[in-house]
Amino acid sequence: MHRYPRWPIHLALLAASFAMLVPFYWVLKTSVSGENIFAYPPSVMPKAPHLFYYVDVWYYIPFARYFLNSVVVSAIAVAANVVLNAMAGYALTRHFAGKGVVLMLFLSCMMVPFQATIIPAYLITGKLGLLDSYLGLALPQCSTIVCIFVFKASFEAVPQSLIDAACIDGLSEWGIIWRMMIPLAKAAVATNVILSFIWSWNNFLWPLIVTRSADMQTLPLGLARFLSYQEDTTGALYAFCIMVLAPGILLFLLAQKEFIEGLTSGAIKA
Amino acid sequence: MSGSEVSRPLWHRLLVNRFTIVLASIALVVAIWNAYIALHDHGVVEGRVVDAAGQPVEGATVVLWVLDFTTFVEKTRAITDVDGRFVIHGNDSHNIQIEAEKIGVGRARRVPVRLYFKAEDVRLPSPLVLAGSG
Amino acid sequence: MARRGRGGRWRRTAEVWCLLAPSLAIFLLYRILPLLWNGVLSFEDWSPLRPAHWIGLENYDEMLFDDGVFWQALWNTLIFMASAPIGIVIALALALLVNARIRGRDIYRTIIFLSYPLMTVAVAIIWRWMFDERVGLINYVARSLDLVDRPIQFLNSFNWALPSVIAANTWQMLGFYMIILLTGLQSIPGELHEAAAIDGATGSRRFWSITLPLLRPTLFLCFVIGMLNSFTSFDLVYVMTGGGPGRATELLITYIYKLGFSQTRFDYAAAVTVFFFVLLISVTWVANRLSGRDAGAMRLD
Repeated sequence: MHRYPRWPIHLALLAASFAMLVPFYWVLKTSVSGENIFAYPPSVMPKAPHLFYYVDVWYYIPFARYFLNSVVVSAIAVAANVVLNAMAGYALTRHFAGKGVVLMLFLSCMMVPFQATIIPAYLITGKLGLLDSYLGLALPQCSTIVCIFVFKASFEAVPQSLIDAACIDGLSEWGIIWRMMIPLAKAAVATNVILSFIWSWNNFLWPLIVTRSADMQTLPLGLARFLSYQEDTTGALYAFCIMVLAPGILLFLLAQKEFIEGLTSGAIKA
Repeated sequence: MSGSEVSRPLWHRLLVNRFTIVLASIALVVAIWNAYIALHDHGVVEGRVVDAAGQPVEGATVVLWVLDFTTFVEKTRAITDVDGRFVIHGNDSHNIQIEAEKIGVGRARRVPVRLYFKAEDVRLPSPLVLAGSG
Repeated sequence: MARRGRGGRWRRTAEVWCLLAPSLAIFLLYRILPLLWNGVLSFEDWSPLRPAHWIGLENYDEMLFDDGVFWQALWNTLIFMASAPIGIVIALALALLVNARIRGRDIYRTIIFLSYPLMTVAVAIIWRWMFDERVGLINYVARSLDLVDRPIQFLNSFNWALPSVIAANTWQMLGFYMIILLTGLQSIPGELHEAAAIDGATGSRRFWSITLPLLRPTLFLCFVIGMLNSFTSFDLVYVMTGGGPGRATELLITYIYKLGFSQTRFDYAAAVTVFFFVLLISVTWVANRLSGRDAGAMRLD
């Protein structure tokens, strides 16, 4: 094993970490003291910090409403994702007529990014009468191919003997999925929850297209509207940014392991 | 069946994991904050008016301006008592300005006061100083 | 395969199809149908107020020969795509550093990855402000280091706007590339390195002869992800510059959005979408072919 000095590595990584964290710090600093908006040169530590920009944001924009909308849509998307993907993943482990066709269909759907479908998706949602509704916002995000294959791989790892034992015990297909497979596939469920939550929480383009009224907007939309409303003449915009980023960062720090594993397994299987 | 996961009872696993603890702490903080707000949101603004020499001024008119969209509009007025103190009721905003004036003594420039929530009860930390000639 | 004989094959097939039905419905409704609809719409002249009629290749004609914005958007998208390797190289360096056995590697990994799961709209606002000409950090540093005399209008200049957006995008994607490359690095068996070290190979020789060839599939995966990301980077561009100044940062996807939802030209937007999709598929196919020849070919000398 070669011995090489460690400190250059630490130095380089510290520099990289600094570069990654500086934007956060700068925005945080501006959100507690609006000095960088107008003052030059900017100072490194905030002078006279205060929390009143956060109060401004709270009363100026319906933050609670946007947050609620985002939560509802994400909850629908995540719940639907887990259920639908588990069902489809399980179905794909069985042999049945037309399985090849279905697999081909799924694989080809993976090649179609959401952005290539926005116009017809909008027209379809309109025809279904779901414009400007929670269901309309959540529906396109209710199933993802990557997660179906993650579930499929997970389920295939379950030994056949267990399945046969369950059959003998009289479990129906539905029971097999929910009583036996899911508890054994916790990692797949975690992956699914994380991926679908992140995608629906951060989704900007679809809510931009589908919402018509101001109080159905989700958090990313509220943020973008605030920008166009206020430009950057107030620290409140950056306070809003921090308020929006905080749940995401908190969730990430709590669920790091699942997050990273989920993303890598999802990407590699794609 | 993976053995290590059945060792802890279900309720233990549900309660003592990082997600529940963090969520519960957040809920607790939110509850405490809301309780604090409920106890302190009567919209009372108190303060003192003194003249340039530091003596309390009786009978000065104190005006409360509140933020209405993008400008400040006058909301209500009060008169200071013998000790130069005033009490204003009915503030329902989070961003206000206070101004005081007494003919013959002077006027105090508008002091911006930022509150943490609407109608927060506040006592001004420093007195309003009437300066200049009325 | 001893399956229960309840109800026989038809019932089992029906059960399976019931399980598949909801997911299939979603994909048919929101992926397959839109794809086909786009195709059909691109050959028609349609607006929500008038019935459609077939106009053949007129939309494509306009797109390819009359529309300067389209070509600008295409060019910008290609530049964006070509900048992905820069991010991948940086991420590779970071992955190699983090992979070394040092204390606190998990913390470094977390910090570098932090930018990826964030809302792109917020990231766009942060970087928009970092590049601000009056008070942005980038200008401040440049002026402090005496690199420039006057502040550069990053997001307002035709030359600097797209690189600025690319920089912001790279910042966000670095963590993701690094994680994937880390996984790839960790799947290289340590014995290979040890054997080469025993044979007297230096560190850099080991890197070029062992690590890099074995990482090739992972690198191509990163490239495909980067390509997909550059094609679909609507959020960042829309919030940071709105496609401007002029059309300097207009991507195909933002152009499609504006055509469809600002100008309500659904039919023309459908034509551009078809082109966008075909381009995406072709690039992916080429990337797959280039990596497919080496994937799995772990030549152990």
